[in-house]
Amino acid sequence: MTEAQAPFRVLVVDDDPDMGAYLGLLLKKEGMQADIVEDGDSALVRVMTDPPDLILCDVMMPGLTGFDICQRLKGEETTALIPIVLITGLDDQESRIKGIEAGADDFLNKPVKREELLARVKTLRRLHETRKELERRRLAAEVERKEAIRKTFSRYISPRLADRIMGDADRSGDIFAKAQRSSVVALFADLRGFTRLTDRTEVGRVVEMLNEYFSILSEAAYRHDATIFNMAGDALLVGFNVPFPQADPAARAYRCAQEMLTQFAPVADRWESEQGIATGVGIGICMGEAVIGNVGSPHYMSYTIIGNPVNSAARLMQLAQPYEILVCDAVYEELRGIIPPEQVEARGDVTLRGRAEPVKVFSLRVPLPQHSGGGA
Amino acid sequence: MAEINYTAVVAKDLEDLIPVFIKNRTKELDSLKTAIGAGDFEQLKQLGHRMKGVGNSYGFAPISDFGKTIEDSAKVSDKATIDGCISAYADYLANVKIVYE
Repeated sequence: MTEAQAPFRVLVVDDDPDMGAYLGLLLKKEGMQADIVEDGDSALVRVMTDPPDLILCDVMMPGLTGFDICQRLKGEETTALIPIVLITGLDDQESRIKGIEAGADDFLNKPVKREELLARVKTLRRLHETRKELERRRLAAEVERKEAIRKTFSRYISPRLADRIMGDADRSGDIFAKAQRSSVVALFADLRGFTRLTDRTEVGRVVEMLNEYFSILSEAAYRHDATIFNMAGDALLVGFNVPFPQADPAARAYRCAQEMLTQFAPVADRWESEQGIATGVGIGICMGEAVIGNVGSPHYMSYTIIGNPVNSAARLMQLAQPYEILVCDAVYEELRGIIPPEQVEARGDVTLRGRAEPVKVFSLRVPLPQHSGGGA
Repeated sequence: MAEINYTAVVAKDLEDLIPVFIKNRTKELDSLKTAIGAGDFEQLKQLGHRMKGVGNSYGFAPISDFGKTIEDSAKVSDKATIDGCISAYADYLANVKIVYE
């Protein structure tokens, strides 16, 4: 049975079995489902285990009174929205005031007149169904909004990071909507030798190879919680410490670069054996202040990172040999404690295009024992 | 109390409930007698309150009237009025004629 066809469920609470039977009969005749209990404790258990759409509750009962039941249910977040009609004596003004204080939604006079009962129940049913429909639409809109945000996220970041952002419901809408300036670590990776390869390879195969290359790099980026900002030609730009701060962004970037090189090496070997041309990945990493935000026109927007660390990482990538990672001094300072000295070579001060001051550059070698092409 | 109408006009759709309803009223009468014998006015008040609510709902207006009298009298421990009311209630139950409409 679908939700639209489900009967409206009324819980009748009355210690007088004749009143319970009477109310139940009238409700059933109107196509509603009536469950009858004869005391307050049973009512609370029933509501918790099988919440009804409406409660008709006598006031004067041994044990828990109608006021007690009303107060408890209205005080619980999960049951507060269930409408409660208290059944009181016509002349019992005091009970009505107590009922209002306890949170009752409406009152029904004893003796109960069927016309009055049905009119009140029908009104509350309409209200309840409208409320449920609004709640259903609100939840559906929320799911839709989250799904849209998730789709946006998934273009840039790992599913794990997307889940973390989605879990932060208050911030998730703002992450990509607002520009931010923050300290970032930018990593640029580029495929070397690929232009020569494309000249000799059938176009369909070229696309397959590029996809394989980008899959390896993206997987490595996701594993280290990087945000992918750009894929162009055979170059990839990823950022760390963005959109969320990370405790060790430089170390993450280094490990990510390491993984990119080690994972790509066997693929490059295979390509070389197939095509006879050596390829490799060169990587540049730099850190500093950058601006992150959605940039573009109404026709095309892109989540972008702009600033010196990005430009410098791009220049370092251009200088890097295949299987070499070049980093600026700021990044190296962060990595000094985790990289064996024998894997580091100072390249001295290098003037990078677009930068007024020379930058101290360090080359980091990644051991690739099974790779036929060797390191930098 | 106004003159008692011994004809109860009951909605046709309540017909199936009436045998149990009448049986419960007979039990109720016994409970009233026990309570008045014991001088238990709290019990009489509760029984009267219940009668007041259920009688008219089913179409038995005098039961509601008896109930109200018993409840009110129990609040002031008026044994004589309750005694009279219980007798009248017993007479009503013995002679009531039910018409279904």
